[in-house]
Amino acid sequence: MRIGLDVGGTHTDAVLMDGNAVVARTKTTTSEDVASGIETALSVVLEEQDPKAVSLLTIGTTQFTNAVIERKHLSRVAVVRACLPAGRGLKPRADWPADLASATDGGNYVIHGGHLYDGRTLADLDEREIEQVIEALRGSAPDSVVISTAFSPMQQDYEDALAARFSAALPQVHVCTSHYMGGLGLIERENAAILNASLLNFAQRVVTALVRSSQHFGLVCPVYVSQNDGTLIDLNKVSAFPALTFASGPTNSIRGAWALTGLSDAIVIDVGGTTSDIGVLKNGFPRQSNLVIDVGGVRTNFRMPDVLAMGLGGGSLIGGDGDQCGPQSVARELKNKAVCFGGDVLTLTDVAVSQGRMEIARATINDPAPQAVCDRVDALVVERLSAAVDLMKPGGATLPVILVGGGAPLIPGEKLAGCPVIRPINADVANAIGASIAQVSGEAEGLFVVGAQTRDEALKALTVEAERLAVVAGADPKSVVPINIEEVDIPYMATETTRIRVTVVGDLAQKEPPSR
Amino acid sequence: MKIFASDIDDLALGAVFLATGGGGDPYLPTLITRQTLAETGGVTLIDPSALKDDDFIVPVGGVGAPTVSLELLPSIDEASKVLDAYERLMGRSITAVASFEIGGGNSLIPLMAAAVRGIPVVDGDGMGRAFPEAQMMSYAIAGVRPTPALAMDYAGNTAIFETSDTSTYEYHIRAYAAAAGGMVTVAEHPMSGTQIRRSVIPNTVSFSLALGRLLREERGPIDDLLAPLKDLFADSVYGSVHKVFSGKVSGKRTRTVGGYDIGSLSLEDVNDPNRICSITIKNEYLVAMIDQQPLVMVPDLIVIVDSETSTPINAERLHYGQRVAVLAVGAPAFYQSEAAVIATEPRCFGIDLDYVPLEQLIPY
Repeated sequence: MRIGLDVGGTHTDAVLMDGNAVVARTKTTTSEDVASGIETALSVVLEEQDPKAVSLLTIGTTQFTNAVIERKHLSRVAVVRACLPAGRGLKPRADWPADLASATDGGNYVIHGGHLYDGRTLADLDEREIEQVIEALRGSAPDSVVISTAFSPMQQDYEDALAARFSAALPQVHVCTSHYMGGLGLIERENAAILNASLLNFAQRVVTALVRSSQHFGLVCPVYVSQNDGTLIDLNKVSAFPALTFASGPTNSIRGAWALTGLSDAIVIDVGGTTSDIGVLKNGFPRQSNLVIDVGGVRTNFRMPDVLAMGLGGGSLIGGDGDQCGPQSVARELKNKAVCFGGDVLTLTDVAVSQGRMEIARATINDPAPQAVCDRVDALVVERLSAAVDLMKPGGATLPVILVGGGAPLIPGEKLAGCPVIRPINADVANAIGASIAQVSGEAEGLFVVGAQTRDEALKALTVEAERLAVVAGADPKSVVPINIEEVDIPYMATETTRIRVTVVGDLAQKEPPSR
Repeated sequence: MKIFASDIDDLALGAVFLATGGGGDPYLPTLITRQTLAETGGVTLIDPSALKDDDFIVPVGGVGAPTVSLELLPSIDEASKVLDAYERLMGRSITAVASFEIGGGNSLIPLMAAAVRGIPVVDGDGMGRAFPEAQMMSYAIAGVRPTPALAMDYAGNTAIFETSDTSTYEYHIRAYAAAAGGMVTVAEHPMSGTQIRRSVIPNTVSFSLALGRLLREERGPIDDLLAPLKDLFADSVYGSVHKVFSGKVSGKRTRTVGGYDIGSLSLEDVNDPNRICSITIKNEYLVAMIDQQPLVMVPDLIVIVDSETSTPINAERLHYGQRVAVLAVGAPAFYQSEAAVIATEPRCFGIDLDYVPLEQLIPY
């Protein structure tokens, strides 16, 4: 049996799964300290279970995203960028919000080094410059050092060489190389690495607390955390790469929709209290966004699900006799303000109650909204969601629309944008179910120049590398399959150049049960 | 008129509009230009009419793959270093710099060069928009030779070009860019004050800034923004602006051929799904048609904006389902001349259509 846990901003959900069956489930409130909310949720799902029968605990958490957004628990990061003589005068963290730049500031250094797009050396590393930076860092003593070099996703040797030098010279400092944060785009990749490094101390405390909570309940199974692409990483990797969990919220609800329906290609709408998040399932995984991702006001290259957020949820305000719905919301005050709870604000929840789609145990008013208003709101909700579904569905295909999240019953009807609507049971704990899926992934990316090698050779080399990374992450080698090959042509070049990215996924290898 | 660091975001937004679908991501050029102007205290714009006959004006900009700059970062002093080398080559000092094209990141590079050197930037450019090839520049069309040209790579290595004609120059400079890390900074099309006055598309830098400011301050549905846009364009070198279609993106196909993004786009009328507007793309939007009937064609400008925010969207960012409006803007008078039409009409892009000016296609 497995436990899936999802720690969101408002709710902490947990499910106990036996294969695909939900054995126990709970939805509790996320506590200020996070840990006690997790323990409450675990105590509910483990009530009638022998904890030793649980073989895996998987957790999705928004703690690291929130730390960046709230500028809390961050530590000081020095940046060493090797790209000179290109990029003269351009400093790391150049356009960061001032509060985040100063909360993470451990110094910025730009030195010679790096590669070119065709694999040649941009500039050699300069021993004297490296010595000077090491000397400066001995004085300023940052918590960690990020190393970024030009084209490191294609050639890592300079980043690795610099990392070895800094680790040897500054043994008490975490040293992080940018190529671990993925793809091309030096500034975005470096920003991602800085955010990640600034969370390392906090990650250590979070991991320790998770281990303590699981031990408290007598769990002896391995603990994994879900990452942005919908697969799992172990606690060692969370300690080193906490930023890989930034998008686990939307990712887990999309993956949960897949687990609940078995549909590997679909539109997923996660309806919450204030927003509806619309994502796309492709081959059983969230479709990734190709745009630059903003985290806490910083441009990053994190691979995150392509999600469209609409201001439409249970707390959405109804105005103008039903010709307005959202984006304003009573949010967490639903139970004080909504008409069905005895308040005086008409919300989308009231409409759903009046229309008989939602039953609320503690509601005091059974028919809070007039029929004419309800009908207009329902039509408006269908129209707005249909437009959003239209925007998200790939190339005009007709795909099923899966409704998940606590607010799924708010949405009326059987079709959106001509696509059939599916309402699976346990949709309200889809995130926790998504977190409980035991798969791991590997990804490799490179530029392919026509003539230098054949496309098949390039693809094969990248696939081998991605498979290696998946097995390192814990995949059973026999189960690893490619799930995505992306090729993007690079315009303006005389020689035809394509960027190729290969993603593979496999089942988590079953380890021997721990002996006691 | 002076341009300051605080103007750069607006200027870049105006430049995306005028890029007519091309021009690449303006993020890095914006970042580095903003920083340069903050350090130097701004840059002076000079009206082409204020240049003296024997002034020496040099256009400067980047040639190559903008995507490569994501790793091979631009340098704050690279455009000014190109000017230093160019002055040594030519044996005379540069009075002012000018822009190749107002559309996209190349509108910002001359500002950086001029700010570092403390010389003015000509308020104008060589396209009034973005075009994919050098022989489509107004400088070339007016008979200005592209060479002697000097290209510099990230490390300060230079190459000097002296070619018989503009298309040979275009071919050679692209090969050099590919050999020199993928992106080079270039000084070319040297001109006297007399020459630039008859070959430049005037006042496009100040216009792009005003356009970007309008798009930011009045951000909202295109139907609300159309009237202020019409007023702004009425007072410019461009022809009038019209909304020629609104609908949603129903298909997009592009592929890279010979260093260009080539393909087509189809938009579906929201009220009548059978009414399809198709747009041909070669880096930029070239021709918009409904039922084989052209709505607007190059060299007139085709701009696609988000219907709700009126933010211009370039071709690489368009995707299925987006609600957009197609705007058509009459080309500047220069591009209505016979020589300019011959160099930029649909046939130059392999489209078998005679150029019909926008005002003859608009039914009012």
